[in-house]
Amino acid sequence: MKSAAIAPGDVTRYGLGLAAPLALVFAVFFIAPLAQLFYLSLHNDAVATVWGLGQYVKFLTDPFSLSVLGATLLLGAEVTLLCLVLGYPIAWLHQRAGHWLQTVIILIVLLPLLTSVVVRTFAWIVILGRQGIINSTLQSLGLISTPLRMLYTQGGLVVALAQVQMPLMVLPLITAIGRIDTNLADASASLGAGHWRTFFRVILPLSMPGIIAGCTLTYAAAITAFITQSLVGGGQMLFMPMYLYQQASTLQNWPFAAAISIIFLVAVLAIVALFSTLGRRARINGDAT
Amino acid sequence: MSRKQHNLEALSFHIAMTVIAVLALALVVAPSLVVVIVSFTSGFSLKFPPPGYSLRWYVELWNAWQLQFAARNSLVVALWATGLSILLGVAAALAISRSKSVSARVLDSLFMSPLVLPALAFGLAALMFFSLIGLPVSLLTLIIGHTIVCVPYVVRNTVAALAQLEPTLLESSAILGASRLYTFRRIVLPLIRPGIISGAFIAFMSSFDNVPVSLFLRDAATDMLPIRMWQDLEGKLDVTIAALSSILIIATVALMALMERTTGLSKRLAG
Amino acid sequence: MMIDRRRLLTSALTLGAMHAFPGLSYADARPLVFATFTGSWEEAHKAVLVPAFRKASGDAPVVLDPMLSVDQIAKVNAAKSNPPIDVMLHDPGPALVAIGQDLVEPFPVENSAYYKDLIPEAQDPNGPAPFFQVVGLTYNPDTVKTPPTSWADLWNPDYKGRVGITNLNSTLGTGWLVEVARMHGGSEANVDAGFKALEALKPNLAAVAANPGALATLYQQGQIDISPGNFNAIQILKARGVPVEFVAPKEGAIAFKTTIHIVKNSPNKELAFKLIEAALSPEVQTTLTEPPYLIVPTNAKVAMTGEIAKVLAKDTDELKKKFVFQDWKTINQQRASWIEKFNRDIKI
Repeated sequence: MKSAAIAPGDVTRYGLGLAAPLALVFAVFFIAPLAQLFYLSLHNDAVATVWGLGQYVKFLTDPFSLSVLGATLLLGAEVTLLCLVLGYPIAWLHQRAGHWLQTVIILIVLLPLLTSVVVRTFAWIVILGRQGIINSTLQSLGLISTPLRMLYTQGGLVVALAQVQMPLMVLPLITAIGRIDTNLADASASLGAGHWRTFFRVILPLSMPGIIAGCTLTYAAAITAFITQSLVGGGQMLFMPMYLYQQASTLQNWPFAAAISIIFLVAVLAIVALFSTLGRRARINGDAT
Repeated sequence: MSRKQHNLEALSFHIAMTVIAVLALALVVAPSLVVVIVSFTSGFSLKFPPPGYSLRWYVELWNAWQLQFAARNSLVVALWATGLSILLGVAAALAISRSKSVSARVLDSLFMSPLVLPALAFGLAALMFFSLIGLPVSLLTLIIGHTIVCVPYVVRNTVAALAQLEPTLLESSAILGASRLYTFRRIVLPLIRPGIISGAFIAFMSSFDNVPVSLFLRDAATDMLPIRMWQDLEGKLDVTIAALSSILIIATVALMALMERTTGLSKRLAG
Repeated sequence: MMIDRRRLLTSALTLGAMHAFPGLSYADARPLVFATFTGSWEEAHKAVLVPAFRKASGDAPVVLDPMLSVDQIAKVNAAKSNPPIDVMLHDPGPALVAIGQDLVEPFPVENSAYYKDLIPEAQDPNGPAPFFQVVGLTYNPDTVKTPPTSWADLWNPDYKGRVGITNLNSTLGTGWLVEVARMHGGSEANVDAGFKALEALKPNLAAVAANPGALATLYQQGQIDISPGNFNAIQILKARGVPVEFVAPKEGAIAFKTTIHIVKNSPNKELAFKLIEAALSPEVQTTLTEPPYLIVPTNAKVAMTGEIAKVLAKDTDELKKKFVFQDWKTINQQRASWIEKFNRDIKI
C-alpha cells in the first residue's frame, strides 16, 4: 500500500495508517464508553429515560457530596506537598551522586512504582497499626504508654499515600534537575549568594518544569488511589473513588455514578490544566532569566 | 560573608538536604522490607516485630486456591494485554513519531489520555458500555480494558526510542537498496527494542497490578489478584497476604534487575 | 506490506477473541460462584463446605465471592438474566428483599435428602437455613477488665476511642441500631432514638468497619477493644489466641436465621443445589459446630453441644426463648434511608 500522506521518497517516516488499529480500538473501547458515561449522566432517572441535569444538580447542591469532593481535593494537595518536600532532596542527591549510587537511588524509587499497590498499602497497615512498628518502637522507648491512633486517620493516610506515589514525583524531578547547568549554581555560589539562597533563587526555579510535572502526576494518582484510601483511611473516611464505587456497585445508581465520574474527571483535568499553565509560565520565566 | 561562615552555611545546606533525602529513601523502601519480615512471622497477627519466625504462611499459600485462581487470571490478562499493547502500540508509535502533522499530535494525546484520566471513571464507563452491547464481563472484557490503560506505556517508550534514532541511518539503508521492511527488521527494530521491552515491562506490571479497571470488570468467576488481595485484607487480615506480598516484592525486584541489565531501565525512566 | 501488517493484526485479534477464550462461551465454562459472608464465614465455608461439595460433585470448580447480602442483591439485580452469582446467603432482612424482587429460584425440596431433617424454622422452600447467628457484645478481655453486661456499656467514657461498630449495610449494624433504639424507647419502625445515641457514641468510636468480618480484623490488629459483635465472627480468632470474648447483653442478644438460595437464572443450578445440600448435611453441620467455627446448626440430627450449648443455647427451643428475634419486614421498610443517613452522619 502506498501511504499518500508522505512523500514516497521519505524513508525516515511511517504512514499514519499504522496508527489506525490502535485508533480504532480507542474509538470503540475508550471514546465510546466515555461518551456513553457522559450520555448516561445527563439523565434524571435511574433507568436513563428522562433527560436532564438532575444528577449534576443533585451532586452540586448536596453538602455531603461537595464535602466528599472537597476532602478528596484537599487530600491530593497534602500528599503532593509532602511528596515534593521529601522527593526533592532525593532528586538533588541523585544529581550529586556517583554513577553507581545514582542507579541505586533510581531502583529504590522505582521499586514502589512497580510493586503492587495492594502490597504497598498492606505494608502501611503493618506500620501504622496499634501493634505496628511505630507504636511498638515508641512504647519500648517509653515515649508513650498507650498506642497512638494512626491507622484510619488523615495524617496516616497522607504519609502512606506520599510513599505510594513518591516515584511519580521523584522521576520528573530527577530529569529536570539533571538538565540544569551546574555552572549556574556554582557561579551563584561563588558570587557569595550562599547555598540556601542559590537553591531557592536558582535551582528551584530552574527545576520548575519537573516540579510541575511531578505535582501533576502525584496529585492525579493520590486522589484516585482507591485501595490506599479505603484500607488506610478506613470505613469512615469517604473520598470520590469510593463514593463513585458505592453508587455504582452497591446502590446501582448508574446515572448518579456516571455524573460523579464526570465531575471527578473534570476536576482532575482542571487540576492538570492548572499545573500545565503554571508549567508553561514557569518555562517562559525560566527562559527569560 | 567570611569563609568560615560560608563553609558552615554550605555544610548546613548539604547536611539538611542529604538527611531529608536519606530519610525519604528509607521511607520509600521501608514498607517493602517490613512486609518481607512480617511474612515470616510465626504468629497470627501483623505484630511487629513478629513474636517468632516460621515459613508457615508460605506453606499456607500452597493451599490458598482462591488466591492461586486469581493469580492465574491476572497473569493471563496481563500477558494478553501486554501482547496486544505491543502489537498495537509499536505500530502506532511508528506512525506518530517524527510526524509533525496535527492528526499525529491529536492521536498522540489520545493514546496518552488513559494515563491522566481517572481510570476508575474509565472502568465504570467500560462496564456500562459492555453491558449496553451485551458482552458479559469475562477475561476478554478485562483484556480489552487493561489494554486501553496499558498501551500508553508502550507507545510512550517506543516513541522515545524512535526519537533517538538517527534518520540518516534509515536514509543510508534505503540508498543501499534495502527495502523498508528489511530496514525495519534489521535496523529500526534492534535499535528500538530496549524501548519496546521496557514499555512492555511497565505495561505488564501495571496490568498485573491494575485495580480501577478490574474493580468494575471482574467478577468472582474472573477474579483478579489485586482485588482478591484487597478484599481479603478488608474482610480478614490474613497473614497469607503478607507471604504473597513478599513473593511479589521479590519477583518485582528480580524483574527490575533483569530489565536494568537488558534495557537500562533506570536511565530510560529518569533520562 | 502495510496491508499485511494490518491483516496480521486483525487476524491476531480475531484469533485472540475467538479461539483463545473458551471463556467467551461464558456460561458453560464458569465455575459455581458462591457469595458467602466475609471473615469467619468465608473461612468456615472454604475449609469445610467446599471440600464436602467437591466430594459430592466430583470436583466441580467452585469459587467463593464473600460480600454482604445487600451487595449480593445489588450484583444480581444488575444482571438478572445473567447473574454473576449462583448461590446467595442472606440474613432475614435481605432474604425478604431477594424473594420480593424475584431473584431466587425455589429450592427443589422434593429432591433434597436433608430438607426434611431441618428444624421447622429452617424449612423454607425459597431457600432453607443452614445456620443461625447470634449478635451480642464482643470485647478484648486483656484491655476490658470488667466484662460488659449491657449495650449501654459501649457508651462508657472509659472506652474513649476504643469502640468499633459496623455500618448499617450489615445485619449486625442494623440489628444493633434497632436494639439501641429500643433501649431508648424506639422500635423496628422508629430508630431516631438510636441515631441520637449514635451521636453521643462518637467520642468512643475508634473505627467503623465495612462489614462484620472487618470488625474481627480490627480486634486482631488491636484497633478496637469492644464492639457489638457476632458470636461466630470472633471464634476463629479466639482459637488462634487473639484475646477476644463474646457476651450476651442483659437486654438480650439478637438471633436470626441465615438462609441459602439458588439464584434465579443461574447457569449452574445443579451445582448450586449440590452445594446447598452439602450445607444442610449433618456431616458438614456437625463439623461446623466444632471449634474453631462453633456455628449454630439447623439440622435436627445435629446436637448443640460444647461451647455453643454453654454460651448460647442447648437447643432451638432455648434459643428461641432466650434471644431477641427482630421484625425484619418492618425494618426493611426504612432500612435504605437509615443506611444513607448513617453514611452521612457518622464521620469520626
